[in-house]
Amino acid sequence: MMSLRDKAWSPYAAGILIGLLQIPAFLLINTALGASSSYVTVAGNLAALVDPGAVKIDYIAKHLAGAKNWWQVALVVGVALGAFLSSRLSGARRPAMSYVWSRGMGIGSLQQRLPLAFVAGFIMLFGARIADGCTSGHGLSGIAQLSIGSFTAVTAMFAGGIATAMLLRRV
Amino acid sequence: MSVLSAILTGLVMGLVFGLALEKSRVFEPGVIVGQMQLRNFTMLKVFLSAVATGLVVLAALNGFGLIKLSPKATLYTADIAGGLILGVGITLAGGCPGTVLAQIGAGYRDAWATLLGGLCGALAFGYLEPTLRPWIDGGPGKLTLDHLVGQPFWLVALVFAALIVALLVVLERWRPWQEELGREVDGDTEPSPVAGRQRIAAQH
Repeated sequence: MMSLRDKAWSPYAAGILIGLLQIPAFLLINTALGASSSYVTVAGNLAALVDPGAVKIDYIAKHLAGAKNWWQVALVVGVALGAFLSSRLSGARRPAMSYVWSRGMGIGSLQQRLPLAFVAGFIMLFGARIADGCTSGHGLSGIAQLSIGSFTAVTAMFAGGIATAMLLRRV
Repeated sequence: MSVLSAILTGLVMGLVFGLALEKSRVFEPGVIVGQMQLRNFTMLKVFLSAVATGLVVLAALNGFGLIKLSPKATLYTADIAGGLILGVGITLAGGCPGTVLAQIGAGYRDAWATLLGGLCGALAFGYLEPTLRPWIDGGPGKLTLDHLVGQPFWLVALVFAALIVALLVVLERWRPWQEELGREVDGDTEPSPVAGRQRIAAQH
């Protein structure tokens, strides 16, 4: 059966486990699974240290404090810890970057990949904040609540993602 | 709930979330780019399994009156424009805002740059939000499928979950999950490393 020492579990079993996390999210925190607003909480608090004007923007101010905001920051920190422990237990060590960047985009080294990774992260979170949610908030939680806006956002995510991927070399 | 208990709850839930993301391999850039190139369906399998489970869970919790749902407001311009931009970022990052943290945990060093870029992108939006807001707003507000069809949430959710399960059964028959992961469980399904290298050499 499934063991923590396995390198891979069935995607269905892992997906069910992720879906079950909606139970503590709704019952204990009174919210749904999400990830992208935690970036505003962390970046907003860092910005507030150097720019007092940042907290005068309502959008940033409402992400700075409170149980729900810090719960989500803790959630994504936990994701990194959980993935770290899981990979150490199974021995599925990863290289500095995925094979897909050299084969799909001809990127030869980590130094070449870093600027693109930065830009990718910037685009990703800028888009997620416009849409008010990401693959977790709109994808997992919005669709599980049958939200029409989330169906729309997820369709657009796949459209943007597929159009971009078709420009890369098929690997 | 106090902020401290919320943080502890978040950490424990995140540990489970990160474990599931790592074991499913859905955080692998090779798997995400493969999904967007429509040749690897691992992402869809994990995603739809999680959505179907969420639908059943929320149908029960909401049906028995234990929780209130909180769907996001439907804002068509924001959902479409934001979703398209986010999708471009997902392919170029080989992940999404949550799985970037799993990439870091599993050892992909470029994911630190993705995280830094993400923080800057989120902050840039924060500063621009007052300017962008009039353009983003505009939509029917909270709009859900159960309201559109005029049936209770639990019923529509369970029917939708059943349809997803049927789709997953077909998907698994078409593409068995083990075959999509490859030897290094990173979505690289080249028959052997040697063949992979030869093909790269031929492309250059």
